[in-house]
Amino acid sequence: MVQEYSSILNWIDFFADPMANPYYPFDVYNLPFDIGYKLWEILGGAIAWLINLIFPGNPVSTWLMCDATCTLMALLIFMLLVFIVVFVSTLIVLWMERKCLGRMMDRRGTMVGMKGFLQCVADGLKTFMKENTAPKKVDKMTYWWCVALIVGLSVLVLCMVPLSQRWFVVDYQTGLLIIMAFFALAPFLILVSGWAQNNKYSLIGGMRAAELMISYEVPMLILIATTALLAGSFNIGDIVNAQNDTIWYIIPQIIGAITFFFCATAEAERVPFDIAEAEAELVEGWQTEYAGMKWGLIMLADYMRGSVSCSMFVILYLAGWTLPFIGNGPIPEIVFLLKSYLVFFFMILVRCALARVRTDQILNIGWKVFMPLSVINLAIVLLLKVGGVF
Amino acid sequence: MAMKYLDKYPKNLAKSLWVLKPCWAVLKLFAKTVTHRSMTILYPYEKEWIPDNYRGRPGLRFDKCVGCGMCVRMCPTACIKLIEVPDDEGKPVMRPQVNLGRCAMCGYCAEYCPLDAMTVTPEYELAEYTRYDLLYGPRRLNYEGTTPGMEVKLEVTLPSDIENGNPERRVSLFDLDRPELTDSKCIGCKKCAKVCPVDAIEMVEKGVNDKGKPILRPVIDNSKCICCSNCVLDCPKDALQIKEVL
Repeated sequence: MVQEYSSILNWIDFFADPMANPYYPFDVYNLPFDIGYKLWEILGGAIAWLINLIFPGNPVSTWLMCDATCTLMALLIFMLLVFIVVFVSTLIVLWMERKCLGRMMDRRGTMVGMKGFLQCVADGLKTFMKENTAPKKVDKMTYWWCVALIVGLSVLVLCMVPLSQRWFVVDYQTGLLIIMAFFALAPFLILVSGWAQNNKYSLIGGMRAAELMISYEVPMLILIATTALLAGSFNIGDIVNAQNDTIWYIIPQIIGAITFFFCATAEAERVPFDIAEAEAELVEGWQTEYAGMKWGLIMLADYMRGSVSCSMFVILYLAGWTLPFIGNGPIPEIVFLLKSYLVFFFMILVRCALARVRTDQILNIGWKVFMPLSVINLAIVLLLKVGGVF
Repeated sequence: MAMKYLDKYPKNLAKSLWVLKPCWAVLKLFAKTVTHRSMTILYPYEKEWIPDNYRGRPGLRFDKCVGCGMCVRMCPTACIKLIEVPDDEGKPVMRPQVNLGRCAMCGYCAEYCPLDAMTVTPEYELAEYTRYDLLYGPRRLNYEGTTPGMEVKLEVTLPSDIENGNPERRVSLFDLDRPELTDSKCIGCKKCAKVCPVDAIEMVEKGVNDKGKPILRPVIDNSKCICCSNCVLDCPKDALQIKEVL
């Protein structure tokens, strides 16, 4: 049998347009999906060409490069890509905290390779090598499921935060509310895991997490509603565009921005509001019984929640990925990340400067200071809205 | 009920702005440490700044030393011993040997050395594999680059004085403290003249005794004497004492 030689270029289309694909899963252009689509064009095209070389005219090669398969594989690569970007940005946040905290304490911070960045990798490897122990008398199901759900939810929330108009997972009309809902689920799981660990420190930590959530979720949601009121939408893209059109919301809502900053710090359970883990008194609180990689993942999830808080602040008050007078720059994703790092820097500053707040003080601050402040902020915004400024 | 709620309410809400104060302090420190070097140093690669009179291991300037043994007597941990070594011309002389395993780095030897032959040095990395290696002989004690600040003076001579070109002793005690002879106790045994490391003592005939033999008495050359008190310690009849100048 004489076989025709088919060039590899017959199988790869470097300029494939994912929007032209009938199975395109989004309404508008999506950059990570586009990258994933083109990567699959190259990867799958090469595989299909190889298979076709060996078995000419087989159906697998054509199946690999058909529209539906391309979309499926592109979606897989798309998920991986979104996760990797989010993961690396979390690692950068982790590195930044270590380095800045070191400098603020007149130390050097981490020094392992790449200005200390590789310390995160070393820590990950170290926790990975540890024995995965679990105490005998824990409630097995909740113990294992809670850590999985906490980590999973944190990753999910962080992946759901859009980095720009072209870098998103799902373009919800109520994106802000959904992110906040998932964000607020973790303290509930912390309460359950604290109970499951059969340990008084963990239980106290879990209780405190629940108490923290109850007292800080309320002003936070009022503030989010305020911003939604000002922008007229719960869609993140609309909020950012509204700020780009008028003014960054940190200027009319300065009280709200400060309140939101502290509420977000409390929600992410960072110092000075980390009474749930409280290293000094509760021995890491609800994380006490989690050993090895579980603990490492929980730590990572903590920082992911921290960077979600920063991203929310950037979206609500710092106009997301837009810049004044420029609007959408050439790389809006970088702008967004840089802004969230700036907010995180202030979180580190607060962490370094202030001592942990007592439990009753936290409740006092939450209900008697932040709550009235957020209502005052709401009143100001209402006045502005009624007065026709916005 | 409402009043009870307000009981614990912060009286003056603006007072809670105190949180800005530590934040500002931390921010200032951050700006400083980012532009300057931080407090911690990477020890094996970076060395700490060391002052001129840092008390590291003792050092010895072999040629200046006369072997008076002042350091041996003053050492609080008794780590210094006088041993016999050949000098540059091959003559056997007594020089101190320091056991750094026992040395407390107090610098007393450098302080009390009347000739400033014993100095302190800024060397503090002294780890060795065996204890025997910690014995520093007179030649090994040598330290290149001895500065005036390392000759720790017993009297008040500050490093700032040396910097200002005024290394002289403020109170020259050793120029004034001298051994004094109690003539009635002396038996003229010449021991003081033998032990004097700088040959400041000369036995001089002071008349003749009843049996017709010469009476020898030590005469101390004040310009040579370093007041090491060797003669006082070795006098068999306690005829010599150090006359303190107060």
